Amino acid sequence: MTFASIVAAARAEGRTLLDEVEAKSILKEAGIPATAATLATTAAEAQSQADAMGYPVVLKVVSPDIAHKSDAGGVKLNLADRAAVAAAFDEIIANANKAAPGARIKGVSVQQMAKPGTEVIVGMTTDPQFGPVMMFGLGGIMVEVLKDVSFRVVPLEPKDAASMIDDIKGKPILDGVRGQPPADIEALRSTILGVSELVQAHPEIRELDLNPVFAYPDGALAVDARIVVSEAAS
Amino acid sequence: MSVTGHRLDRMFNPRVVAVIGDKGPGYTWLRNNMPFKEHGGALYSVQLDEKEIPGIEALGVTNYRSLADLPEPVDYAVVAVPRKVAPFVLKDLIANKAAGAGFFTSGFAETGEELGIQLQEQLTQMAREASFNLVGPNCMGLYLPRSGVRFSADVPVTAEGRVGFLSQSGTHGIMFSLVASANGLPISRCASFGNAIVLDASDYLEYLMLDDDTEIIGIYMEGIRDGRRFFETLKAASARKPVVVWKGGQTDAGARATMSHTNSLAGPRAVWEGMLRQCGAVATNSLDETIDVMKMLLNSKLPQGPRMALLAQTGGQSVSITDAFGKAGLEIPRFTDDTYAQLGEFFNIVGGSYQNPLDMAGTIQGNMETLDRILRIINADANVDAITMELSAMFAARQWKSKPETLEATLETLSAHMARSQKAFSTVLHPAHEAEYVASISPLFHARHIPLFQSFERAADAMARALAYAQR
Repeated sequence: MTFASIVAAARAEGRTLLDEVEAKSILKEAGIPATAATLATTAAEAQSQADAMGYPVVLKVVSPDIAHKSDAGGVKLNLADRAAVAAAFDEIIANANKAAPGARIKGVSVQQMAKPGTEVIVGMTTDPQFGPVMMFGLGGIMVEVLKDVSFRVVPLEPKDAASMIDDIKGKPILDGVRGQPPADIEALRSTILGVSELVQAHPEIRELDLNPVFAYPDGALAVDARIVVSEAAS
Repeated sequence: MSVTGHRLDRMFNPRVVAVIGDKGPGYTWLRNNMPFKEHGGALYSVQLDEKEIPGIEALGVTNYRSLADLPEPVDYAVVAVPRKVAPFVLKDLIANKAAGAGFFTSGFAETGEELGIQLQEQLTQMAREASFNLVGPNCMGLYLPRSGVRFSADVPVTAEGRVGFLSQSGTHGIMFSLVASANGLPISRCASFGNAIVLDASDYLEYLMLDDDTEIIGIYMEGIRDGRRFFETLKAASARKPVVVWKGGQTDAGARATMSHTNSLAGPRAVWEGMLRQCGAVATNSLDETIDVMKMLLNSKLPQGPRMALLAQTGGQSVSITDAFGKAGLEIPRFTDDTYAQLGEFFNIVGGSYQNPLDMAGTIQGNMETLDRILRIINADANVDAITMELSAMFAARQWKSKPETLEATLETLSAHMARSQKAFSTVLHPAHEAEYVASISPLFHARHIPLFQSFERAADAMARALAYAQR
């Protein structure tokens, strides 16, 4: 699916929030590293997709009416085989129906289970004064509680991607503390610049969260993605 | 100097100025602009109220009852008429082929009431259609010290101005002009632009960026209509000369209702901060911070790094100056062994110290040759990027007051140091119990372009901002 067809399909359903499978498909098209995600509507479909992807996998509910998937019991991590995938599929659907009765459930996304890394957030939103702006910060509690984030106006030059990473107070965590290897800053810069190019090319994107992105000593991988597009073609 | 071909050039270098609608008994606007007339400019008044005309003519200003009667096109007009008359005046200005006008008149969209919003719409449309350079409305307009055009009778007329200033607020425009001038930072051109319905901060910024009289630019603003254009103009301007942006109204409103995490965190303050960094502009939060960093950027060499040499007069002050500079994120390193060896030859360590900071009053004892020797040694130290020196009102005033030639000698020693040094330099003179005396001698520092601060904290913050600018 291309960007245009994904956005057209969402708009046809009256949605501005793209689901994770759609968002990751857009990231893939833009060359921004993210975990693979496919949509399964049956347990059998989920199993064959997991087989193709390789274990372990993650299953997450896909529903425009469920914003907080974990809270609804809609996320199952670290599924090691076909049996676990089938059981998780049924459980997620049951949980979702119970947590949000009447919610439209498109199915379940099957995703690669990423190995843990340092969590960061790469985001974009549309500022009322400056238009598209990018955000970078450490993920998890650093962003929730300390709001340790930095902003730049799109389009970003390479030096802007570098300096917005330097700007956060938690930068030493990425440089490696207590014997941890340093995170691959170059890969983070490239993710930031990739998103800057993506949103510049597609003004329909109003908001975007890659939260978290796992930063590794070699590479960076968007593990969850959320994209909001404008209502009408712009 | 002029910026040939720029749409604001005629207005910013006026030969013909008209004051429209000024009133007695003060005739404030005509009085503000008398220096323009004294400098040989053509100053006209437009006023049709018969009872005001004798007072205007008594000032030696020719009055016309209508703009249409003026013998020549106006380069800059000050419009101080009631808001309902403003559209008629604008129509006459356009017919006069005037280059621009500052509309002091207020009562427009800022009131939030229907008539005000409607009148503002009308002015906007008329001015845009005619490409008329409307400054404001609801503003103090232009201050052009070289031409003698002023928005207040208190601001000086001078050809020495190097600092351009733009202000959304009239008060901040006047206050900045007064405080900057009093701190040895004379204004080249200043615009208070109020509601900015036609010309916005970006238009003025573009002119100041190209204006050779303006070496550094300051901006006070609360918001911007076309943020993209401002971003691009600020980036271009900052590549040419330092631009210091004092953003007012910085408190973020509460969390926004939103679908994404990023949007909930993208408060205006955070986005402005990032935008200013990206442009290479200097961010400040107050009038004092703006003045302070300008003192450094205009008068001192830029710091090449964070390593400070701190020259204090006494032990207690050594601790305080270290605290202030450390808190500002600057470093106070050990000097090189060579420096210690040289200082050790003559430093009086009884009641003194030549660690960093130097505790040097007991060594110098008013001897400028010794001060010069210390400055030369510290300046040559490879561990030092910048130098800040304490002057003590307690010690120095006693001596300077009774023997003014000793003050002159100190200034000469500091000037000579600044002339030969490639490192950033500033001085701190806390007014202590001598506020009046310190105020009286401060202009001597300004005249010699020696950055002078009233506290360690302000000197430290200014140095840290200058460093951030140098490393942008």
